[in-house]
Amino acid sequence: MKTKKQKRNNWILVIIMLIASLFFLFPVIWMLANSFKTDAAITSDMNSMAAFIPPALDGSFFDNYITVLTNTSFVRYMTNTLVYAAVLIILSIIVNGLAGYALAKINFPFRERWLMIIMLLMIVPMETIITIHFLFIGKLGLLNTVLGYILPMIVNPFNIFLFRQVFISLPDEVYEAAQLDHCSPLKYFFTMVLPMSKSVVATVSVFTFLNVWNDYLWPSLVFTSGDLLTAQIGLNAITSNENTTMGQTLAVITMVTIPVIIIYSFFSKQIVEGVVSTGSKEG
Amino acid sequence: MGFIELKNVCKIYDKTNKNAVTDFNLSIEEKEFIAFVGPSGCGKSTTLRMIAGFEDISSGELYIDGTKMNEVAPMDRGISMVFQNYALYPHMTVEKNISYGLKNMKVPADEIQKKVDWAVDILGLQEYRYRKPKNLSGGQRQRVALGRAIVKNQKVFLMDEPLSNLDAKLRVSMRNEISKLHRQLGSTTIYVTHDQVEAMTMADRIVIMKDGVVQQVGEPMELYEHPANKFVAGFIGSPQMNFYPVEVKGKELVFEDNSKVTLLDSVADQLKAHKGKLLMGIRGEDIKLDAQNMDLYNKDKQKAVVDNTEVMGNENNLYFEFGGVTTVARVSKYEVSKIGDSIEFVLMPHKMHFFDAETEKAIELQYE
Amino acid sequence: MKKRAEAIRGMAFFGPALVLLTVFLFLPMILTLVFSFTDFFALNPKLTHFVGLDNFAQILKDEYFRKAFINTVCFVIIIVPLQGLGALGLALLINKAAYCKKYFKVAFFLPVVMSLAVVSTLWMQIYSPEGILNSILSNFGIAAQPFIHSASQALPSIAIMSAWQGVGYQMIIFLGGLQAINPALYEAADMDHATGWQKFKDITLPELKPLCIFVFITITIGAFRMLVQPMVMTGGGPSYSTYTMVYDIYETGTVNWEIGLASSMAIIFAIFVMILTIIQTILTSDKEGENENKKAKKK
Repeated sequence: MKTKKQKRNNWILVIIMLIASLFFLFPVIWMLANSFKTDAAITSDMNSMAAFIPPALDGSFFDNYITVLTNTSFVRYMTNTLVYAAVLIILSIIVNGLAGYALAKINFPFRERWLMIIMLLMIVPMETIITIHFLFIGKLGLLNTVLGYILPMIVNPFNIFLFRQVFISLPDEVYEAAQLDHCSPLKYFFTMVLPMSKSVVATVSVFTFLNVWNDYLWPSLVFTSGDLLTAQIGLNAITSNENTTMGQTLAVITMVTIPVIIIYSFFSKQIVEGVVSTGSKEG
Repeated sequence: MGFIELKNVCKIYDKTNKNAVTDFNLSIEEKEFIAFVGPSGCGKSTTLRMIAGFEDISSGELYIDGTKMNEVAPMDRGISMVFQNYALYPHMTVEKNISYGLKNMKVPADEIQKKVDWAVDILGLQEYRYRKPKNLSGGQRQRVALGRAIVKNQKVFLMDEPLSNLDAKLRVSMRNEISKLHRQLGSTTIYVTHDQVEAMTMADRIVIMKDGVVQQVGEPMELYEHPANKFVAGFIGSPQMNFYPVEVKGKELVFEDNSKVTLLDSVADQLKAHKGKLLMGIRGEDIKLDAQNMDLYNKDKQKAVVDNTEVMGNENNLYFEFGGVTTVARVSKYEVSKIGDSIEFVLMPHKMHFFDAETEKAIELQYE
Repeated sequence: MKKRAEAIRGMAFFGPALVLLTVFLFLPMILTLVFSFTDFFALNPKLTHFVGLDNFAQILKDEYFRKAFINTVCFVIIIVPLQGLGALGLALLINKAAYCKKYFKVAFFLPVVMSLAVVSTLWMQIYSPEGILNSILSNFGIAAQPFIHSASQALPSIAIMSAWQGVGYQMIIFLGGLQAINPALYEAADMDHATGWQKFKDITLPELKPLCIFVFITITIGAFRMLVQPMVMTGGGPSYSTYTMVYDIYETGTVNWEIGLASSMAIIFAIFVMILTIIQTILTSDKEGENENKKAKKK
């Protein structure tokens, strides 16, 4: 039951918001449109609406992208990051998942106290101890190695807590039934607990991925040169090179964003759930 | 020695230091169907879980097939179990749920296939074979849980309130199926329930528990006819048995409202020997309103006004005040009474149970 | 027995995490605390002395740390209302919008998916003196601005960019909160002839209050931890106008290797962040108490 006036107001609101959203998104639109242009075209378009319109689709349309993909180590950086993310996702599900399961379901000494400690650890900002991590990894001779990058990132109090919160509501009877089915505790964790908790496994995976993908400080400290860089550090290396044009820079940052867009479009539900349940995670 | 033997089994929880189960003694024969019954919190599930190995036995001994099982892991006790909430593996199909244990026990694949086929067949799950539990109804889930338990060919079958999540109608039909299954497989079964009807209809023997203590062990009719104490008498049978504080004066039984009933001679003699206050219990169906019984006991006719009625269809329950107690009589459907009607009835003298009012223990009577 | 077996199993499951927690959290935390009372210099560890509170005294006098602290606080003061109120406003508008709801959600969320390094790189171009922003502004008759190239504009420029990047995230949280409000409340208010503003003031805001506290403190904590933007865009300049606390910790510890001093800074920083987190936890977890307060007020 809507009056004519209400309907008109609705339209006005939507139109105003559409315009506002275009203003809001102008950096993104500009980035996309100009990532296909030469620097000369970018400069000459700057003062007209052409700044927000991609060039004509001709043979040189993808030149910036092709140059970045073939003449720089961009592909390498992207692959590196994907590999690190995959390894960290697996390790962090195993290590944090097992710990979360122990805290939720297994009666071992000082369990409640450990849980308290884990919750207290959640409020410690990582920036506080990153210097010491750097010192440790240096002392272990692991600077500029994948192991050195990954080791400090595996355990995560947030993930332990998140797993614990989900696992605690798993029915004990299923564990007992599995015991009678000759299922060992470790096998139970991998073949029952994880598949029964797909949602939290997905949440932790997605957050681990985003963490690896977006992290800047730690990889910039550990990786001192070349081949091992992650996409974020690599993107800085490419764009700060004098030979890189503005168009190529825009192409690089567009491509770095694509995997994250894919992740978000597939896992928006898990991300929103994760945001609400872990609180200040993303900061 | 029985097939399953519990000797002075106790369960004490550390934190509360309270006995959940006290001195449980029972000997179960092979192929027997035993029901543990009692109100919630009576220790029946705890006892079952001690037999299964999910709870430590605080003291006492448990033997299955001659082997002491106190320290043996659940999976090595030769048992299978059906859980109250089914405990199906939610991410596995019906077939996978049933075969999971066999796979872990390294049974050859063709044998697994055969056994699963057999279980699926016997339980009528053919159509649902590739479904996941969330797409099944409660009754179907229950069947899968049964299937998972029977394929493993274990000698002992434990069931923890398996029907409590089903609706009334389904419960009756599953009751029959489980009985049938037990007859077919012949595995020794322990069945925990709070529903005395389930226990009565299914079990060879019933163990009644209260506050962690066994009240009585016996065949269903033995419990019904000869309850060992007031608790058993009240727990078994529906509607509940009527209890009256009474006194014996000569050959007469005197109620609190001074109603009097003539006792059988032998009963009166035996009761005279008893010191202390008495409780008399009589079941609803042993309070008679029909002409034949009225004639038979006509000098002890009692009067009352009906307060309430429950029409069950096949029979009616009438509620009225008698002997200072709200009494229920179970009468046939032909004896129609309305609320407010005055009725006359008699108590069958040879159907009376007597209990010591202090200890609530039954006083054993010899009826001649 | 069973209990012991369970204890062993528990420790086996918890063990891997415990080892890593010890090496990469407990030990670093203890060391940070210990080092903060020493003049530990990583390039020459043998010369380490216990210096008591000297580091803290030095930091409080240190011009750069002071600057970094003031910058951080300024950044917080600019970004918190901008991003928090922006998110709330957007959420309210999108919730009201009759059409294109999904498009608006995606549009305002899009910058969130871009990493800080990407956003910083992009806005360096946008903020460039001959860049697109100046070109747009010139259409409105505004003279070219130096943005990140001037000491007075750099920090606000970065704050606006950060708010732009993050606002969609909190908007989604607020939208979730708005959708969780029982529609019967609004229907009841309609029956009581409430105006739109009254409904907002008396239903929406009180219902969103716990969420608001949560979101605003989350933004504050995030702002306190700001580092990547100046690292990529300005290197802390011009003339230290975008130098932040974390930037100072990072440079002191991992560039100059003055771990003792960096640890003291980290302790000060951690205290601020942890106090904020604790306040947030207390304020947002105490919903029942709040409801009781409300009832008491009504009486």
